[in-house]
Amino acid sequence: MAIYSFWIFDKHCNCLFNREWTLAANSSSGTVNSKQNEETAKLLYGMIFSLRSITLKLSQSPPANEIRSISTGKYRVHTHCTASGMWFILTTDFKQQSYGQVLQYIYSHIYVKYITHNLLAPFDLAENPSETRGQGTRKINNRHFIAALESFLAPMIMQ
Amino acid sequence: MSNSSSMPAQAKSLKHAGEDIWKNRTEKVNAELFTLTYGAIVSQLCTDYERNFQKVNEQLYSMGYNIGVRLIEDFLARTALPRCENMVSTSEVVSKCAFKIFLNITPQITNWSHEKDAFSLILVENPLSDFVELPMDAMKQLWYSNILCGVLRGALEMVQLDCDVWFISDVLRGDPQTELRIKLNKVLKDEIPIGED
Amino acid sequence: MTSKMAGDTRSHTNPEQDGMTEQQKLQHQLQVFQNSLPKVNQIAFQMLLNEMVPLAVSVENKLINSEIKGTPKRNSSELEEMITNVHITAPLDKPSHKLCQQLYEANDGTREKILERLRSMGNQIGNKLTELLVFSNNPNLVFKDMDLLSVMKFICRDVWKQFYGKQIDNLKTNHRGTFYLLDYEYRPIQTFALDDQSTEEELAMIKPFFEIPVGLIKGVLSSLGYKEEEVVCMASYIDRPTDRPKSTFNKGVSFHVQVNMQ
Repeated sequence: MAIYSFWIFDKHCNCLFNREWTLAANSSSGTVNSKQNEETAKLLYGMIFSLRSITLKLSQSPPANEIRSISTGKYRVHTHCTASGMWFILTTDFKQQSYGQVLQYIYSHIYVKYITHNLLAPFDLAENPSETRGQGTRKINNRHFIAALESFLAPMIMQ
Repeated sequence: MSNSSSMPAQAKSLKHAGEDIWKNRTEKVNAELFTLTYGAIVSQLCTDYERNFQKVNEQLYSMGYNIGVRLIEDFLARTALPRCENMVSTSEVVSKCAFKIFLNITPQITNWSHEKDAFSLILVENPLSDFVELPMDAMKQLWYSNILCGVLRGALEMVQLDCDVWFISDVLRGDPQTELRIKLNKVLKDEIPIGED
Repeated sequence: MTSKMAGDTRSHTNPEQDGMTEQQKLQHQLQVFQNSLPKVNQIAFQMLLNEMVPLAVSVENKLINSEIKGTPKRNSSELEEMITNVHITAPLDKPSHKLCQQLYEANDGTREKILERLRSMGNQIGNKLTELLVFSNNPNLVFKDMDLLSVMKFICRDVWKQFYGKQIDNLKTNHRGTFYLLDYEYRPIQTFALDDQSTEEELAMIKPFFEIPVGLIKGVLSSLGYKEEEVVCMASYIDRPTDRPKSTFNKGVSFHVQVNMQ
C-alpha cells in the first residue's frame, strides 16, 4: 500500500476531512471522517504546526522555509499548504519521493471545483469563534468531492 | 518569493506566470458578455434601491466580497503562489497575476504611501465598464465598478491581509483616470490551536 | 418534431451546395471575428452569473429592512459628500450559501419577488445581447424575416454557446408556438450540491439559478419583437437520457417557452 491516509485542515486548525485506508488490496476499505481519527488529527496538526514554527524560525530570510514532507521509520507525511492557510496532507510509504503534485491536483481540481465553486457549500466551515483554533468538528461530506477524490487516489493506494 | 532588492526580477516572473496562465490554461468568454451582464446587475440595483446610489455601491461591494472569498482559492489553485512578503509584492501579484488571469488587464501600480502600506491601481481598461455611460444623477454618486473593491477586500482577507479597498476616481464620473486604492490595515495573525500557545 | 442541435449547423440550412459553402464561409468569418474580440476568464464570468442569486436575496433582505425601519431622506449634496469622503467599508452580507439557504426557506411571496428580480436581470442581459449581436455580422441572425423557429435556434446555438460554452442539447417544437429547450448539462450549476445524497431540498435550492436563463430567453425574444406578455417561459427538471455520458449533476433542465401569436 502506497498511501495510508489523507487529511485536510483549514486556517482555523480544524480537520475538515480525513480518509484512512486499511487494506492495500482494497481502495474502498477504511474510513471517511471517522470520529476515532479526531485525536490523531489533532496530533498530526500539532506536529506540523510545531515543526512549521521551527522551520520558519530557522530560515529568517525569504523564501519561506515551508515543510514539504516529514519522514519517520515507517511513514512519510507529505504536506501542501496554500496561502489561504489550508493544509492538504498525505501519509504514505517510502516508494515515492514526492506527492506535491498529487496534493496540488487535489486542491485545484477537486477541492476548488466541488467545494469552492459550489455555492450551496460554505467557503468556511467555522460558523463562530467557538469553532476556530482546532475546536471545530464540521466535516466535508460532499458526495462529488468524495467520489472525485476516491477515483483519483484509488490507483495510488493499490500501487 | 524574494526580498525587495530583487523586485524587478520577481515582477518579471509574475508577469510571465500571469500571461502564461491566461494564454495557455484559461477558458475565456467574450468580454462584452461580462460587461453587459454586470451592467444588468448594476441597473437592477439602481431600480431596486430607487437610485439611492450609496446603497448600490454597498451592495456591489458586498457582492464582490462574497465572490472574492471564493475567487482567491481558484487563484491560488491556478498559480500556487505563496503568501507575499510585503505589500510591494502583493501589488505585483494583484496587478500582474490576478487582474491578468481573471480580466486580462494589467493595471498600473502607482502612488505608494510613504510607509509602503498603500498603493493605487490605475485601470486604463476596465471590462466591467467598457462603453458604459452614466446618467447625470449617477455620475456624482455611483462607483460603478465597486464590485472590484469587494472582490479584492475578500480575497486579500483570505490571505490574512486586512485591507481597505476603494475607488478614488473613475473615468465614468468624468475623472481623468480610474484609480483604485488598496490600503493595508494589518496583517492578520494565523490561528494557533488551543493549548499550543 | 425534434431537431437535434448537435453542433452541425448545416443540417438546418439550405442543402444546396452553393448555399452551404456560403454559409460555411460566413460561419468561419464569424468565428474569426469572435476570436478577435476582447476576452475575460470564463470562471470570472460564471462566478458573476451565479452570485446574482445570493445577490437577489440580499437585496430583498435590505429592502424589507428599510421598509421596517424607514429610510431617513438625505439631500443629494449631503449624500454626495458622504460618498466622496468616506472610505467604503460597506456592511458585509451573509455568506452566499446562507443566502441560497434563505431563499429556499423563504415564503412564497418573498421567493417570487427574488425570482422576479433574477428574471428581470436575465431579461436585461437578453435585451442588450441582441443589440450587441446586431453589429456582429452573425450569419445565423438575419433580422429581416426571421421567424420564430430561427429565433429559437439562434438562442439554442449562439446565445447558449456564448453564455454557457455549449449549445442546447435538444430543441423540440410543435410548430405552433410551443418550444422545449433541453439542456442536459446546464453548466453553471454542475458542481452544486448539498452534502450526501441528492435530495428534493438540493434540487429546490438549485432551481432559482435557472431564472436567469429564463429571463435571458424572454429578453432575447422581446428585443426581437415577441412582446413580454406574449411569451411564457418556465424551467423545470428533466431526467437525462440514459445514453448520455454520466454528468456530475444528474438532472437536465427543460426550458419551456410558449409564444402566443395573434
